[in-house]
Amino acid sequence: MFFDSTLRAVAVAALVLLFSDAAICASQATADPPLPAPPAYRQVTDEIGRTIRVPQSIQRIVSLAPNLTETIYALGLQDRLVGDTDYCDFPPEAQLKTKVGGAVNPSLEAIAALHPDLVLVTKNLNRLETVNALDSLGIPSYATDPHSVEAIIVSTERLADLLGAPETGTALGKDMERRIAAIKDRVAALPRRSVLFVVWTEPLISVGKDTFIADALQHAGAVSVIDSSQNWPHINLEEVVRLHPEFLVFAESHPDDAAHTTDTLAGLPGWRILDAVKHRRFAVISDAVNRPAPRIASAIEELARQLHPEAFADTPQSDKDNASPGSPPPAKSPLQLAGTFSAPRECTCAQ
Amino acid sequence: MSSPAQSSSAWPNVGDAPRASSDVRLSVEQVSYAYSANPSQAPLFTLEANSFQSRPGEIVAILGPNASGKSTLLKLIAGALAPLSGRVLLDGFVTHTLAPRARAQRIAMVQQETPLLFPARAWEFVLQGRHPYGRSLRFENEEDVLIARNALAQVGAEHLSDRWMNEISGGERQRVILARALCQQPLLLLLDEPTLHLDIGAQVDLLATLRRLAAENRYTVVVVTHELNLAAEYADQVVLLQKGKSLRVGSPASVYQRDLLEEVFHTPLTVEQGSNGRPRVNLLPTS
Amino acid sequence: MRPITLQRLLLQCGILALILFAVVVVALKLGAVPVSLYGLGRDLISVLLRQTSQLSSGYGMIVIEIRLPRILLAIVVGASLSVAGTSFQALLRNPLADPYVLGVSMGAALGAILALIAEPHLALPVWLAALFTPLGAFLGAAATIAAVYLLGLREGQIDSATLLLAGIISSSFLSAIIMFLLTTLTGRDFRGMTFWLMGDLSSPLQSSLRWVLGIGFLVATGAIYTTAADLNLLLAGEKEAMHLGVDVRRVRLVVYIAASILTGLAVSVSGAIGYVGLLVPHVMRLLFGSDHRTLLPTAAFGGAIAVVIADTLARTVVAPSELPVGAMTALVGAPLFIYLLRRRMA
Repeated sequence: MFFDSTLRAVAVAALVLLFSDAAICASQATADPPLPAPPAYRQVTDEIGRTIRVPQSIQRIVSLAPNLTETIYALGLQDRLVGDTDYCDFPPEAQLKTKVGGAVNPSLEAIAALHPDLVLVTKNLNRLETVNALDSLGIPSYATDPHSVEAIIVSTERLADLLGAPETGTALGKDMERRIAAIKDRVAALPRRSVLFVVWTEPLISVGKDTFIADALQHAGAVSVIDSSQNWPHINLEEVVRLHPEFLVFAESHPDDAAHTTDTLAGLPGWRILDAVKHRRFAVISDAVNRPAPRIASAIEELARQLHPEAFADTPQSDKDNASPGSPPPAKSPLQLAGTFSAPRECTCAQ
Repeated sequence: MSSPAQSSSAWPNVGDAPRASSDVRLSVEQVSYAYSANPSQAPLFTLEANSFQSRPGEIVAILGPNASGKSTLLKLIAGALAPLSGRVLLDGFVTHTLAPRARAQRIAMVQQETPLLFPARAWEFVLQGRHPYGRSLRFENEEDVLIARNALAQVGAEHLSDRWMNEISGGERQRVILARALCQQPLLLLLDEPTLHLDIGAQVDLLATLRRLAAENRYTVVVVTHELNLAAEYADQVVLLQKGKSLRVGSPASVYQRDLLEEVFHTPLTVEQGSNGRPRVNLLPTS
Repeated sequence: MRPITLQRLLLQCGILALILFAVVVVALKLGAVPVSLYGLGRDLISVLLRQTSQLSSGYGMIVIEIRLPRILLAIVVGASLSVAGTSFQALLRNPLADPYVLGVSMGAALGAILALIAEPHLALPVWLAALFTPLGAFLGAAATIAAVYLLGLREGQIDSATLLLAGIISSSFLSAIIMFLLTTLTGRDFRGMTFWLMGDLSSPLQSSLRWVLGIGFLVATGAIYTTAADLNLLLAGEKEAMHLGVDVRRVRLVVYIAASILTGLAVSVSGAIGYVGLLVPHVMRLLFGSDHRTLLPTAAFGGAIAVVIADTLARTVVAPSELPVGAMTALVGAPLFIYLLRRRMA
């Protein structure tokens, strides 16, 4: 029946929701911008190989993905961000920007009305149709497509270059590299934990090997038991039992949700025979791991601390994970609210 | 249930004989009915008080033009509708208050057929007539099969037993439907325009069969029909309806009056007496 | 003249039960972990003897804990959908009726989702909480079938084409509401629902729900079976059924409620698995005739066999990933539906 295709579209939308808890804010009224001076253009190539023409000086940016919004804030360029999506909720001020709709189905009219110099998109979230539609309106768009933690760093630096903030970009990149290297120093010698990264439990969705999340797991001293080339594979539970993961990893914006999920699993046929469930070896980290943005470094550290507590015995968890040198935290500094929340659960000490 | 097993000795023509009340099987007593689209409005159609009585072995024909209330009267007799006033008694039971199963053991109805959704063989169809005698999960037993075979034989349709219902002719199908009604072993056999869509040979055949069955099995038969001459030939009693009014009840000879029929059917005609004492209607060309 | 006898019915069911058994054995063998027939037999016996510690290997647990419950779920869901489809076909006098095509599955899905939304706010006792989602699905199914029935009436008669159109329209209307709910709700319970909507047997059930499902299936199927002979006559027409002694109102009420229960239960545990309720009864009619006294039990077996096969394919074809089982049934079902539709219209 014809509604199957629409259901599939919703499935995609639901996956999108996963990567950002939807927080729909009232949009702000925006005054019409002043007409820009006659621009000088330059050619750049984006990460999916498109050559685009952008103004020399990019002053008005619309972000169509939460991770790109985060990156702009991390680069300290938030004043140039004139619009973002309903799902852009980090840092919390991002929620106050003018909304152009969802990431999958933004309003082209709302975007055009903002007269952006550049629209930022990311391949695994936005649709090609959106990019094509922007092209036909003469609005340049720049796509990122990172598949690894290194690529996130490079991508961040390139984006900083493009937006005219190369020094901040380099500094931010260096900081991420330093923190990731520090984690690596601590866990490299330790045996890797085999983990199942749980996107959903009903049905069981995990991550494929080509995702940046799988790479982030590696940096935290873990390895995903799933070796699928699909990005979001629907995995058979039997296969998980056979692969015998030591830990289940959950990414949640609300720790209570994770607690509810793990409690439920302990009583479910099938799940309850997993050693990781029997011994309650769950690692629950911030959903920052779901976003290819600078915060991924703190998510990796969170995970490493829970999987290898012995390696971090000497250092208590930092409270300033999210503040990167390139972006001085805003006056009220609410960043740590969402960045880190969970102390390692007691169960993670088993084994 | 007794009817089919009884003797098949010829029943005298009772057309005009006086009725002893003890013999009466079907008694329609001052039955009226009204259809209305909604209860606060005046009825769209009214069937005024109707009365007649009938005995075992008799055929009653209900005649009248379209929309005269023939089918309504038949449904009232069948107990499918509750009368507005009056009542229909079948061997002393009020028909519309009988439970569906008890009613189906006493009254069989042959209607204009509904097309079948899934193909069925004639014998399957005929066996449905045994439904009122089984509990819901019962499977048909030897006796049911025997009764069904007998019913098919009585209407001369044994050879159709294994044919598909949608592959036999209209006349053959009408016989099979009649056989199903016989399987119900009813006291009262009701037929709603059974001769519709049949050719003249099949019509005569069907009514001759009804005549024979009424005599052999002691059914009381009530048949709604448009065929004036067939009704005259085979009915013992005729009920003539017009616009919901019962104009006359009686033997064909007493009801078939030229003036009356011309007025009811709005067409010039003549009525003559046949050699067997039954009237015959000839339509005259309208000029 | 060969009327149905109990012996013949038992023989037919016996053959189908053997086929189902064979399919289950194969389904038990197939999966991420290969299992030998011998090991399988030994494990099943030790489970029957309640000696779970005797399981041959760690993999025995996989079969007992994951594969077998899933296969049993497929059996109950398949039988439920098939019996519900058979019932709807008789109830609506439409051979193309089926819970999925008529939008009843979507109604049940919406009911289940609304129940899931409401449940946390109601502070229900535990026993009712387990029943709550199936109950919502049942009410959704019952409301939808009533609405589709009324929409399908033309001049007081059920019209086949109008009914199918009413079903399709209801289906798309209900899925629009579901889409609205799923895109605006943010609780974690709702994220995976889109997969469930496509028909999915991969999520294990809480054991309380297993009982609800099993008992509900037996009671509802039993209730429908008591009307089997009546349904044969109902299919020939309501008036004729009435004159043959069928209490038409009672039969329709029983079948309507029981078929809604079956659809609600199946949808609440497996989402919208399409076409099983449509095609299995047709195949069984071709094989064993259209008498509901044989059709209902054989369709139950047939539905179970079909869904076990479909689900085994769904979990093995792209192993270790999974396909939605609804996609497997639609792959076979949709073309067959078109064939039946064309043959009917011709």
